[in-house]
Amino acid sequence: MKSKSKLFLAVAAACLVAWAFVTVIPLYWMIVGSVQDSTSSASFRPEMFPGVLSLAPYERFFGKTAAWRWLANSLLISAVLTITNVFFASLAGYAFSKLKFPGSKAVFWLLLSTMMIPAQVTLIPLYVLVVNVFDLGDSYTAIILPTAVTVGNIFLMKQYMSSLPTSLIHAARIDACSEFGIFWKVILPLAKPGLAVLGIFTFVASWNEFFWPFLITNSTEMRTIQVGLASFVFAESTDFGAIMAGATVGALPMLILFFSLQRYFLQGITIGAVKG
Amino acid sequence: MALVEFRQVRKEFIDRNKQPFTAVAGSDFVIQDKEFVVFVGPSGCGKTTSLRMIAGLERQTSGDIIIGDRIVNDLHPKDRDIAMVFQDYALYPHMTIRENLSFGLRNLKKPKEYIEQKVREASAILGLEKMLERKPRELSGGQRQRVALGRAIVRDPQVFLFDEPLSNLDAKLRIQMRVELSELHKRLGATIVYVTHDQVEAMTLGERIVVMNQGVIQQIASPTELYANPKNMFVAGFIGSPPMNFINARVEQGRIVVDGGSFGLPENIAERLSAYSGKEVVLGIRPEDIYGEDFAPGVSTEHRLQAHIQVVEHLGSENLIYFHVGGRMVTAKVHPETKGYTGLAKEFILDLRKCHFFDPATQERITGK
Repeated sequence: MKSKSKLFLAVAAACLVAWAFVTVIPLYWMIVGSVQDSTSSASFRPEMFPGVLSLAPYERFFGKTAAWRWLANSLLISAVLTITNVFFASLAGYAFSKLKFPGSKAVFWLLLSTMMIPAQVTLIPLYVLVVNVFDLGDSYTAIILPTAVTVGNIFLMKQYMSSLPTSLIHAARIDACSEFGIFWKVILPLAKPGLAVLGIFTFVASWNEFFWPFLITNSTEMRTIQVGLASFVFAESTDFGAIMAGATVGALPMLILFFSLQRYFLQGITIGAVKG
Repeated sequence: MALVEFRQVRKEFIDRNKQPFTAVAGSDFVIQDKEFVVFVGPSGCGKTTSLRMIAGLERQTSGDIIIGDRIVNDLHPKDRDIAMVFQDYALYPHMTIRENLSFGLRNLKKPKEYIEQKVREASAILGLEKMLERKPRELSGGQRQRVALGRAIVRDPQVFLFDEPLSNLDAKLRIQMRVELSELHKRLGATIVYVTHDQVEAMTLGERIVVMNQGVIQQIASPTELYANPKNMFVAGFIGSPPMNFINARVEQGRIVVDGGSFGLPENIAERLSAYSGKEVVLGIRPEDIYGEDFAPGVSTEHRLQAHIQVVEHLGSENLIYFHVGGRMVTAKVHPETKGYTGLAKEFILDLRKCHFFDPATQERITGK
């Protein structure tokens, strides 16, 4: 039995190492590609152990583009989306999990059902609505508004808040606390771990978002870092070195965020498993 | 402080199968000013719902609730001038004990000096002075319980509501807190409504006890009255530990016939049972009113019953002897010197002066004592 379980562990470890290797390789390629000259990274067979290192791709990325502006845009949009999602999703999650009001279940299921619709299906109507109806094209508002709060985040917060004891709400109500006071003074402080997870996930997702900002922005100044990277693809050639440098710069905040807040990421995986 | 009154209060819920469910079926009672009243009954009997309706956390379907001289039906919990202690204490985990105690008063925008004075007084009463800067997670169960009490005390409310506050404590601490609660009631002179499923807690704490079952109040009386004169078989079986024994019996020509014996009845009881002549009744007798034939000091040995002992439990101060009569398990709480072992055929003496008779159809008491 013992040798069997040891064999199982060895096989499992080998599989995980292989999986980790496959996952890490693109990241490694990106970093290595960002310090080689353009021709070698464009060869599709980049040197895994480059002999000559060069910072020229970084110079091209920061020198010939509005890279700083794109980074600032990404930071601003991700920060605003994080704040709006944390605030509105926690409000809605609290309402759906703890408050009794007519139609709460129906509204919640209606919201949840929208998660079944692929984003691509609603993309064109959303574009028409934002650009043609509200005339918001090529603006921060256009990028932020559609995902100011997402159903997924509302669901996440509802699940988290369901695990908080209802007796605290009752106690606060008897303690003369207003309904918003209960949310602000009692629920929010207790929901901090959940809010942290929500905030981090939202920030990462917003930072990495490509398609919607790409669709809705026209001017160079309004681009985010992810959209900006695509501008290195020209009709005849692609500057892979600068793309790799930009991708490394773009990924760096996420890598730092992940390693410094690993605990919350892991917590985020189990958050839906909290009892309802 | 103030009285609490229920006038035909009814509460209905819609259950998971979309069927109406009556949690409280038209309660009527008055809890007097400064009285300590305990609501007791099994799970789902409506006792907690009644408490929550007093608090304003549940709205009654019909009827009126009065606190003091006001009908409070439409008042928010904060305006009812009540304080509540919850089963799980419901302390705010992110606040210190001082912040927990003062939270209600701060919300009421009371002056800072007043809040500090109230917190000081409550923490002195409950011995919490040294832990005011700690968080609830740093306290033991008993200390948290005291903080929950303190949070109620600082509010200086008209009525204190307790929702099974001792059920999370271990047996030893529960007894200690029971004594402390009694002392606190005397000290504060407060109107207290207390909910529990533990009949020992109800008997030891309550000046009056409200026994509930399936949403209906079965009896409201003092602990001694409930014990001595239960109104029906539910109350008789619920109050007392071990509970009252019920033996199927038949009334025949002024005598009572049970499986294993037949006895003449005292005249006053025989008279009351005359309408049941030739009919079945249920004889109710408390375990301490049954004696082993070898140890029945001062009891008439006239009413004897023979049975085979099933189990004997030695508790030190007394023995519990279990045997069957007419298909029902009967418990006798006897003197520790009473002889007995499993399988022994033994004669038991029933003290019929202390027994009760119940109508098997209505389960109401026909007569007793």
